[in-house]
Amino acid sequence: MNWSYFASPSTFYGLAGRLAPWFFGLAAMLAVAGLYVGLAMAPTDAQQGEVYRIIFIHVPAAWMSMFLYLVMAVYAGVSLAFNTRLAAMMARSLAPTGAMFTFVALWTGAFWGRPTWGTYWAWDARMVSELVLLFLYFGFIALANAFEDPRRGDRAAALLALIGLVNLPIIYFSVHWWNTLHQGSTVKLTGTSMHVAMLTGMLLMVFAFWTYSIGAALTRVRSIILERERRTRWVRAL
Amino acid sequence: MNHGFYLWMSYGATAIAIAIEIATLAAGRARARRLIEEERDLEAQD
Repeated sequence: MNWSYFASPSTFYGLAGRLAPWFFGLAAMLAVAGLYVGLAMAPTDAQQGEVYRIIFIHVPAAWMSMFLYLVMAVYAGVSLAFNTRLAAMMARSLAPTGAMFTFVALWTGAFWGRPTWGTYWAWDARMVSELVLLFLYFGFIALANAFEDPRRGDRAAALLALIGLVNLPIIYFSVHWWNTLHQGSTVKLTGTSMHVAMLTGMLLMVFAFWTYSIGAALTRVRSIILERERRTRWVRAL
Repeated sequence: MNHGFYLWMSYGATAIAIAIEIATLAAGRARARRLIEEERDLEAQD
């Protein structure tokens, strides 16, 4: 397959338009299944009661917040290294969705923390590093739009994205490196102690958020392509 | 406070956040279309 063919904004515009509705549809189906398993089938937690069901959005949102930042930074790095227009546009298109999931992770974490820990917020390493991630997303978006020439904005924001990568291992390992109020990982590559229905509901929601993110990024990148390429012949011919 | 409050605040805020993002996606699309129209108008004037 000739991958450089799809690196052309005009080609990718059409491809993204065809794929986005499928990803949104898949996300909706997965979310319905995940919410049904999580809210109707998964048993009540013996210690936390019903409030633990926040897990079905909090954990997927937190995972997506980190994963989207990683993908955004990879696109930003590719755009810097190879000066590719589409990679920079993809990095821009991922940032708002990443910021949204970071906000959701922090918000739902606060509403889970209050009944379980007795507080909405603590200056705990996991929570603070996740908040730093939200500021990194805001910084990326602000920097990308701070220049009249979008290519300069792309480069400045890409640098910030790459520097901010250092925060990802801090978020992930914070619960091991420091004594935190936030609990350690329940799901590991080596296994989990979770009930199968709880794990199924959570994973379905992870895939729902994942496919939603792809759909949202593809939709947003189409608008970015149109804006940037509006003086080209192919856009005028649309 | 009962646990329903915390659950509704979490699920409700998530639904609102996603709805806002979908609205901004539609707004971005409309903005791009408007810019293209402006470009066409400028070209027509020339």
